[in-house]
Amino acid sequence: MGTSVDVSYVFEYFFRLLPSVGITMKIVVLSLLIGSAVGMLVALPRLYRIPVLQRLSQVYVSFFRGTPLLIQLFLIYYGLPELLKLAAIDVSRMPVLVFVVTAYALHSGAFISEAIRAAVGAVDRGQVEAGYAIGMTGFQAFRRVVLPQAIAVAMPVLGNLIIANLKDTSLAFSLGIMELTGKAQTLPTMSQRFFESYLALALLYFILSFILEKLLYRLERRLLRHEAADGAAASRIRRRRVKEGDASGRLNLTEEGALR
Amino acid sequence: MIALKEIRKSFGRHEVLKGIDLEVEKGEVVAILGPSGSGKTALLRCISYLERPGSGRMQIGDVAVDCSHPSKKDIHRLRGRSAMVFQQYHLFRHKTALQNVMEGLVVVQNVPKEEARLRSVELLGKVGLGAKLDAYPSQLSGGQQQRVGIARALALDPDVILFDEPTSALDPELVGEVLAVIRKIAREGITMIIVTHEMAFAQEVASRIVFMDDGAVIEEGPASEFFRSPREERTRQFLRRMTPEAVYNI
Repeated sequence: MGTSVDVSYVFEYFFRLLPSVGITMKIVVLSLLIGSAVGMLVALPRLYRIPVLQRLSQVYVSFFRGTPLLIQLFLIYYGLPELLKLAAIDVSRMPVLVFVVTAYALHSGAFISEAIRAAVGAVDRGQVEAGYAIGMTGFQAFRRVVLPQAIAVAMPVLGNLIIANLKDTSLAFSLGIMELTGKAQTLPTMSQRFFESYLALALLYFILSFILEKLLYRLERRLLRHEAADGAAASRIRRRRVKEGDASGRLNLTEEGALR
Repeated sequence: MIALKEIRKSFGRHEVLKGIDLEVEKGEVVAILGPSGSGKTALLRCISYLERPGSGRMQIGDVAVDCSHPSKKDIHRLRGRSAMVFQQYHLFRHKTALQNVMEGLVVVQNVPKEEARLRSVELLGKVGLGAKLDAYPSQLSGGQQQRVGIARALALDPDVILFDEPTSALDPELVGEVLAVIRKIAREGITMIIVTHEMAFAQEVASRIVFMDDGAVIEEGPASEFFRSPREERTRQFLRRMTPEAVYNI
């Protein structure tokens, strides 16, 4: 084992890890796509208070929020084939990745459904009424009026979920998926430079998160562009802020004067 | 044209509409007056079916509904016959002025996009907002938002436009521009039911006044007669309190 940190190994491992970014992002993207659909489906019964389904969705959400992701991975990897066997479906030849994506999708689906539920609740009731008043059906009002506004509201929370999902993929290694973390653990077997490998790995995760963060911020701005984001309204707000700043500045001065 | 028969509505045990009968002819402008809590807004919301009446019969244009057990389709068709202008405007916040007006045409009435755009641009011009087509509601003043709301209602070419206290949420200096727009479309023969607290405006623009109190229609009649010689004592009481002269005489 090396005595001190060798930076050249960090560089070397960093570049040797790059090809594994693909598989990590594959898990992220697939699980988020499926997770969003699941989250949406799970949120609906609770939003519309559908008797039995509402309970089921509650149980689902509490289970996936209340148990560690690592355990969920194992439960799905070992449990799902047994369950499907009962339905006479053989999944023994299914690639491990399918189970991993399923686990991550169900996991993030639970959180996404909560984010959507809260955000839909935050959309003003008058918006739906306006939709009804122009003759929309309930579905049209939800899809065209409520959902776009809810997604904009939920964006900061969804952004956190997406970045958490990226980092959580590091657990997929425990089922033998050779994503970033898995790769980082096997690279230094010859050199024994584990610290350098993990350092390169951390750097890579950080860069990926950073890029995602920037992209999500842009998306958020775009989705919220209707909230006084530009033009006259924005400058009106800016002006008001400046004025308030002035006022408080003067206030501070008089306070100091009083103190003296 | 519009016929309400024995419309009843309760919130819990409190009955807010105690059997309302109302008929409105095509081209009429009806103002509903009354103290707060008299049920006038509830009535308007029942006509637009944002609130479900408990019982009664309702007809707008060619759609008639038995309010005791309406089908989903009935409600949807009935809503398609009226349009609403809200006290709080309720413009779609994520859409521009133009998109707000186009939405009903494109999504509900399946008008081709280009045609809907042309019509919406024309309507926004009519309410004096030809220069604000691409502004979001958050970038418009209350008066401007309400005028977009009126254009949005007009676009649907409904049998009746329902105004729910259209100027109550506005700064006093912005009330005039909205009333001017309503006055203008009233002259074009569009059927309207207006719930308002603007007495002078009601007197000027309405062809008929309906006075409500405690969930019932107390008195109705042509606007000129209603203000000059109200028949019921309750109406006189209300008018005394609402007209400025009375305030100054105290």
